[in-house]
Amino acid sequence: MSAETLPQALRENYKKYGPRVVAMRVKDRGIWQEYTWEDYYLKVKYFCLGLVSLGLEKGDKVSILGENKPEWFWAELAVQSTGCAAVGIFTDCLPEEVKYYAEHSDSTFAVCHDQEQVDKFLEIKDDLPKLKKVIYWDPKGIWTYNDPILLSFDEVIDLGKGYEKKDPDLFDEMVDQGSGDDIGAFCYTSGTTGLPKGGMLSQRFLVESVLLWGKLDDWFGKKYEYLSFIPPAWITEQAIGVAGAILVPMVVNFPEEPETVQENIREIGPHILFFGARLWENLNRMVQAKMMDSTFLRRLIYRLSLPIGLKVADIKSGGNNINLAWRFVYFLAYHAVFRQLRDRLGLSNVVVVYSAGGAISPDIIRYFRALGIDIRLFYGSTEQGAVSMPRRGDIRPETSGPPVPWVEIKLSDEGEILIKNEYPYSGYYKNPEATAEKVKDGWFYTGDFGHMNEDGHLIVIDRMEDLKELAGGKKFSPQYSEVRLRFSPYIKDALVIGGPDKEYVTVLVNIDLDNVGRFAEARHIAYTTFTDLSQKEEVLDLIENEIVKVNDTLPEWTRTKRFVNLHKEFDADEDELTRTRKLRRTFVEDRYKDLIDALYGDEEVYKVEASVTYRDGRKGTIETSIHVNEVQEK
Amino acid sequence: MIQEQEDHKPIISIQDLSLKFGGLQALNNVSVDIKSGEILSIIGPNGAGKTSFFNCINGFYHPYQGQILYQGRDLTRLKPHKIAALGIARTFQNIELFSGLSALDNLMAARHIHMKRGALSGCLFFGPTRREEIAHREKIEEIIDLLEMEPIRKKLVGSLPYGERKKVDLARALCMDPEVLLLDEPMAGMNVEEKEDIARFVLDIYELKKIPIVLIEHDMDVVMDITHRIAVLDFGLKIAEGLPEEIKNNERVLKAYLGEE
Repeated sequence: MSAETLPQALRENYKKYGPRVVAMRVKDRGIWQEYTWEDYYLKVKYFCLGLVSLGLEKGDKVSILGENKPEWFWAELAVQSTGCAAVGIFTDCLPEEVKYYAEHSDSTFAVCHDQEQVDKFLEIKDDLPKLKKVIYWDPKGIWTYNDPILLSFDEVIDLGKGYEKKDPDLFDEMVDQGSGDDIGAFCYTSGTTGLPKGGMLSQRFLVESVLLWGKLDDWFGKKYEYLSFIPPAWITEQAIGVAGAILVPMVVNFPEEPETVQENIREIGPHILFFGARLWENLNRMVQAKMMDSTFLRRLIYRLSLPIGLKVADIKSGGNNINLAWRFVYFLAYHAVFRQLRDRLGLSNVVVVYSAGGAISPDIIRYFRALGIDIRLFYGSTEQGAVSMPRRGDIRPETSGPPVPWVEIKLSDEGEILIKNEYPYSGYYKNPEATAEKVKDGWFYTGDFGHMNEDGHLIVIDRMEDLKELAGGKKFSPQYSEVRLRFSPYIKDALVIGGPDKEYVTVLVNIDLDNVGRFAEARHIAYTTFTDLSQKEEVLDLIENEIVKVNDTLPEWTRTKRFVNLHKEFDADEDELTRTRKLRRTFVEDRYKDLIDALYGDEEVYKVEASVTYRDGRKGTIETSIHVNEVQEK
Repeated sequence: MIQEQEDHKPIISIQDLSLKFGGLQALNNVSVDIKSGEILSIIGPNGAGKTSFFNCINGFYHPYQGQILYQGRDLTRLKPHKIAALGIARTFQNIELFSGLSALDNLMAARHIHMKRGALSGCLFFGPTRREEIAHREKIEEIIDLLEMEPIRKKLVGSLPYGERKKVDLARALCMDPEVLLLDEPMAGMNVEEKEDIARFVLDIYELKKIPIVLIEHDMDVVMDITHRIAVLDFGLKIAEGLPEEIKNNERVLKAYLGEE
């Protein structure tokens, strides 16, 4: 393929497959609607010309704010066809955050999903002098809006059709002019520290590195179905869903609503998919919880089969061959339980399964491997794309695999992972200092702490800045313990605390409301709210037991000595989590400073008055008392 | 705040409506006009006769006195199903759905007043019957989209939480393609977020369908927020009618709600 840019590759697909091959499928009105490559190409073409007629010029930026839908992709490709960059914004951003992204990226257009997102832009449009039009694709509820800045997606398409009559060759010319150096997309770093930075991705990055990735993992020629589910504002969806689907090509399937994914994934039976670490944990938690509610016989069969699966998974992970006897019992277990389980989860057909963007417990990987699903926990970043990748046949639960062929990895003396990449990002937008800061002597400093094992597999432990030292000078990684704690069905989130001024490790726990609620129900424990439930004696005992289980697997000095069940859930609306649901450690530690002091004090009860931000933006305070608990050695 | 729709003609004109249960005077000479293009709220303390008022309009109860004129036609003696077929749809305070059917099937059942094919061709299910079914399904999907019911489309109504069931009830009323929509406490028993959703849906329906909506509701914030006019009932009597602002400051209304000093 000679295409240098995604729009060129799209045009090639259009010429090659036209109306015969399906490119996208979206569930709408309860039916899967199909779009062929011809539909895809024409939508992109007309939307692009429509934007040009409205004044889009080469080098502009366009914000896109919406759930995963074909329109998102069409808009992005249309924008790229003119040599412009698409700026993806997460849908749950508050108006101020949207303003930051739109303002910082100098967006001249915004393409929005629905009323909710349009409202955000209408609220902030006066602060965005560069913004020319706000375009929406779902008109529901916007019927009576008459702000002249608004325009519907279809209206833009119609404008494009009109514009084509005036200048029929313009679109082809623009696509021809595209080069690998054009910036195709901005991905903002999720920003566990400071303001988000806009990582610029060139067409070369999007096309060539993704082609290599696809070849590495054998995406080609398999007619793979892909489920588009992770936010397109994120680099991984840019790489697999947007770029990969065009370059390979694959069929991209869009679920009807975020709430219907579980149903929709079963109807599609995708071959390739990406779930974040959280989602794998949630799936596992859901299976465990449903099994708890199941009948005795089913529970029994499940309990008999799971150890067989885990055993076989361990043999595979050890790189050994599975002997005939194990093959036979696994066959039985597979057909008794795992096959149906996979079907229920919509994972019957999966071949290539990814996870990244946050540590995932090896236990989770082991669990899914028992079901015959090999999760490839790769390591990558907004700036560098995929950096290391577990290879088929050599996927190990605790590693992120060897470096990909186009990347060189080195460790600094402190253990920081350094990268040299044939296809790196093109720097941070309007922030050359930050760009320069990240690179020394040609090596990109990731800020991640890790090491290579003897087989050359990369093991990523944590962010450098998140490594903690205890009073004795010993280093430990809070996150390492946290993912293991989160494997418990009863713990949704955990923040492990320690420091040079602290003798031992403590933890703030967020209970999982659903599962702990079910636990309480089964034991006739009455409770009113999350806060109330979290402080029940039985629940405290339950969580203590879970912590003890994890403590047993950790070195002596990193074991949790005391813990509290937090009275509320961590919330992205209160800045405690990033939009990709990573804990904002420093912020949270600062916010609960007094509570943490209490963890290292003598009191057994701590009174708390916390401010909360409700969904609608109102603020309130709640008062409650929290138990500080010792973890007994067992 | 929505502006008053002064110049609209009444779609339903209710005159001197009186209803008795034995010795209990449920409604006493109530006269209200439901105008085209308005959201009208009926408020009042418990037992004021609000639901009885609805039941008279849609034919569950027959008043002993008075008239309900709908486009010039008297409804007082008609059966409920006839009134439904005339285009007056309602929801119920206690949610009267088929709990053993899916949300979708409940809605399809509501479309039956628009179905022309008979039972026999329904059994054979091809040609025009099939096309008719598809056309109806398409209508229903529009409503599912409007009320954001995609995740519960195929779920049994009996297994749904209360708030979702209320939504199915509302959707079912919409499936009839009504000319007038009567909503009996659509937000009762809901939390703030769910109430906001329903309020938004009511406004969406109003904007999209341009039909009059009559609302019985206890949540004064919602009532003041989304309605054009309010009528107040107390012990079967209409004690006030007017704009939200007027009602807020009406002494009789305050007395009825707060009791006499």
